[in-house]
Amino acid sequence: MTEHGLSPERFQALAETYGGDIARWPELCREQARALLAHDPEGLGAILAEASDLDHLLDLAPAGAVNAALLGRLIAAAPQPAGSARRWIAGLGAALGLGVAALAGVTAGVALGRAERPDRAKTEVIAAGFDTPDLYDALEEAGAI
Amino acid sequence: MAAEGSDPDEALLTGVGRGDPAAVRQLLDRRLPRVLALARRMLNDAGEAEDVAQETFLRAWKQARSWRPGGARFDTWLHRVALNLCYDRLRRRRDVTMAQPPEQIDTGPAPDAGLLGADLSRRVETALAALPERQREAIVLCHHQGLGNIEAAALMGVTVEALEGLLGRGRRALRASLADLAQRGR
Repeated sequence: MTEHGLSPERFQALAETYGGDIARWPELCREQARALLAHDPEGLGAILAEASDLDHLLDLAPAGAVNAALLGRLIAAAPQPAGSARRWIAGLGAALGLGVAALAGVTAGVALGRAERPDRAKTEVIAAGFDTPDLYDALEEAGAI
Repeated sequence: MAAEGSDPDEALLTGVGRGDPAAVRQLLDRRLPRVLALARRMLNDAGEAEDVAQETFLRAWKQARSWRPGGARFDTWLHRVALNLCYDRLRRRRDVTMAQPPEQIDTGPAPDAGLLGADLSRRVETALAALPERQREAIVLCHHQGLGNIEAAALMGVTVEALEGLLGRGRRALRASLADLAQRGR
């Protein structure tokens, strides 16, 4: 230790550990390091310069660039507003409802051994849990019934 | 640079949790390059780094609605998740390496290496990649990511003294392997 609270040896060790920029050293050492540097700018300045050479080289290590595809994927996967989530669930419900109703229709047709037009009321019951009021019309349009 | 004070990402995270697209974009602008750089320098592979960055943010999106202010800073949390994903990949590489030893990496100058540009950058990247993992991690966290010694040590699960040892040994090894470049730069 010196009158500046930091020995030249410790100063050198800090430069070799944290680099040539005192601002990046542990906060508690910075003031003492600057005071010591002011006392011996040439000798300690050379230590900092040597450490800075390595800092500048390290800065050249590639960091990678964010590409548009990655950004797009992350934006698409981010949480959606509550309203849009409800719409998505409703859409999924409609798709599921359509699938379930179609399967029910095929099963019924096979069981009866003939092409029987399903009862509109029954189809509406199947669809009721999936928020798909137009299911019957959609099935009819698709030729499923 | 210690992990103290309010979290600068807190308001944006709240917005992300509500599904605010502007908050999502702003948070990605602010933090994605940092996570990508961390992974790139830890893994020395652009594709793997991108995978790690993507997985890190997908996990962040899952946490966004339940994020509790006052705990770890979001940036620290991101570093923790990204580092763990990097460890997983490095561990898998070690398993492959043990089964199939790779060729020795030459960190020295190539016969016709240029002084500037991509060659120089590649030299530094190769030298960094040749360091033992923990030394590389210490340098990436403190030098490249700009974390304070307390925060970096906590992320690595070591004492500040141990962190300083890793930094010192890592920098000495880099100075030796890049000595020709440092001398040219003066």
